[in-house]
Amino acid sequence: MNPYINAKIHDRVQQIETMPAIPTVFLPLLKMLSHSVEEVKLDEVVRLVSYDTTIAAQCLRMAASPLFGLAQPPKSIKSAILSLGLRRVETILLTCCLGQAFPARNWPLDPAVFWTHSLGCAMVCRKFSEKLSASDDEKAYMAGLLHDIGFVVNCLVFSGEFEKVMEHACREEIPLDEAEFALLGFTHSDTGYALAEKWNLADDIKEVVAHHHSVEPDQTMQPLAALVHLSDLLCRMRGLGYGYYERQKVDLIADPAWAILAREHRELDAVDLVRFTFELDEAVEEIHTTVATILGSAQTLIHN
Amino acid sequence: MTPAPKLAPVAILPSTKTSEAMDPVYRQIRDLIYKVSGIYKAEDKLYLLADGCGRRMKQLAARTPREYWDRLTAAPFRDAELRELLNEITIGETCLFRSQPQLDALRKVILPEIVAEKTKQFTKRLRIWSAGCSTGEESYTLAMNMLEESDRLLKGWTVEILATDLNDRSVEAAKAGIYGDYALRSTSEYFKRKYFSTIDSKKLQVRPEVKKLITFSRLNLQDDSRMLFMKGMDLIFCCNVLIYFDATSKIKVINHFFSNLNFGGYFFLGTSESLMNLNDKFHLIHFPGSIGYWKPSLSSGKL
Repeated sequence: MNPYINAKIHDRVQQIETMPAIPTVFLPLLKMLSHSVEEVKLDEVVRLVSYDTTIAAQCLRMAASPLFGLAQPPKSIKSAILSLGLRRVETILLTCCLGQAFPARNWPLDPAVFWTHSLGCAMVCRKFSEKLSASDDEKAYMAGLLHDIGFVVNCLVFSGEFEKVMEHACREEIPLDEAEFALLGFTHSDTGYALAEKWNLADDIKEVVAHHHSVEPDQTMQPLAALVHLSDLLCRMRGLGYGYYERQKVDLIADPAWAILAREHRELDAVDLVRFTFELDEAVEEIHTTVATILGSAQTLIHN
Repeated sequence: MTPAPKLAPVAILPSTKTSEAMDPVYRQIRDLIYKVSGIYKAEDKLYLLADGCGRRMKQLAARTPREYWDRLTAAPFRDAELRELLNEITIGETCLFRSQPQLDALRKVILPEIVAEKTKQFTKRLRIWSAGCSTGEESYTLAMNMLEESDRLLKGWTVEILATDLNDRSVEAAKAGIYGDYALRSTSEYFKRKYFSTIDSKKLQVRPEVKKLITFSRLNLQDDSRMLFMKGMDLIFCCNVLIYFDATSKIKVINHFFSNLNFGGYFFLGTSESLMNLNDKFHLIHFPGSIGYWKPSLSSGKL
């Protein structure tokens, strides 16, 4: 990428930190997530989740959603951690924070649509990871949740240009990154990567943010990025995209990312992709509800 | 024109609340049905499964879902009962225009692809097979959609639709092409006006120009010698038929379908039906909101 564009992205991304809406717990949480789970203390997580009462209440409510696995609402943060595990509670907190972190005014797209895609992708990534007996299902969730974070960057600090990009992409029914490249010279993968660097996200998450669209057969893509790429495509074909179909046909098994993932996980060939698709459909309504809850309380926060 | 009102986000979770209260046996039954038939009853449709089981339980005087589960899994009733239950849960699924996403994929993606491929081979003939056509709803839906393309994509083309079913009475009803409100619940006014004539206040009949495209006949999909003669298809639809077959017969029939299809052709199952990895030659293709199986074209290099 040309140095001028690179400098411009860097410069604009710097503005994000000064935005007032980012919850206080957000950056400490990111730091905690970058440590291995053995290094994290249960009490610290409890403290972090409890810090903001609105967020804490929301986390407890989300923990009781079928998406996250508890049949009954947990009585306390501690009992949620004991039943769901540290990492899952951290990713629930991350989900709540992200939904509230960014002022959602003047977006060229309904923020609910964006977060529905991100949460949907996160769920599919985790479920996919579980089917493959991959090592870290919560990492997969986090990767799915953050993969399009550059979209938020574009909404916040390139808003005027990005509105034209969205219009162009919807009108021509082309992938967002193609429209971005044509009109801006860079994509949400580039701006997302700049933000991921600024936030010191783990290397594999940074790779997901930077490369989830550019899968070439000869590329040395990491399995996590391949998993996110496939989950992203699947979400888009089942009504969890950005409201328009940028692709009319997807052959997931013939996608280069499938081969990359299959090299790492032999279980992949046995995955019943049709049933997996039907299971994704089951979660769609719940994903919409969860996003409405998160954004609903974000609105309350802004108004207060 | 006034803009459509923005929908309020759904605040309650009807699906999860109902399934929470539901006997866990129903999930077991759901998984059993999937394993045996390939029909997947989604979480938010579990109540339909429970209703179906309820009707069967009444018939059998089974008192609890657990008792019914025993009937479903223990010889000698197992197979017969499963068939009865499958009948219950797929009943009423047949109507015209049952899956709009599938029709969209057909007209937006698949037809242009097949037309391009066949134009290269200098043929202008399209052959479609509705295998297990029941009372004709799917066959007529396909025929009407093809007629819609006859001035555009299919201009100058010959379209043949073969519609077969094992049941003679179904075939006769299909030939008649008379439908009531229930079967026409998803058919738009546009199609009703253009392709149907009124019989009485409750019933419409498909017009002759639609019927002309279709040949209805009786066929047993397990009759190997006849299956060999069904060659040269571009599209095969087989909705909620294979669910009644055992694994061996399923594999055999699917292999027939694969070889009956032209290269580059597509095979479709019902909307909640899966091939369950029973065939690895077909490519599973996702279209927006629908799923199909593709026999790779010679030019794709993917055989």
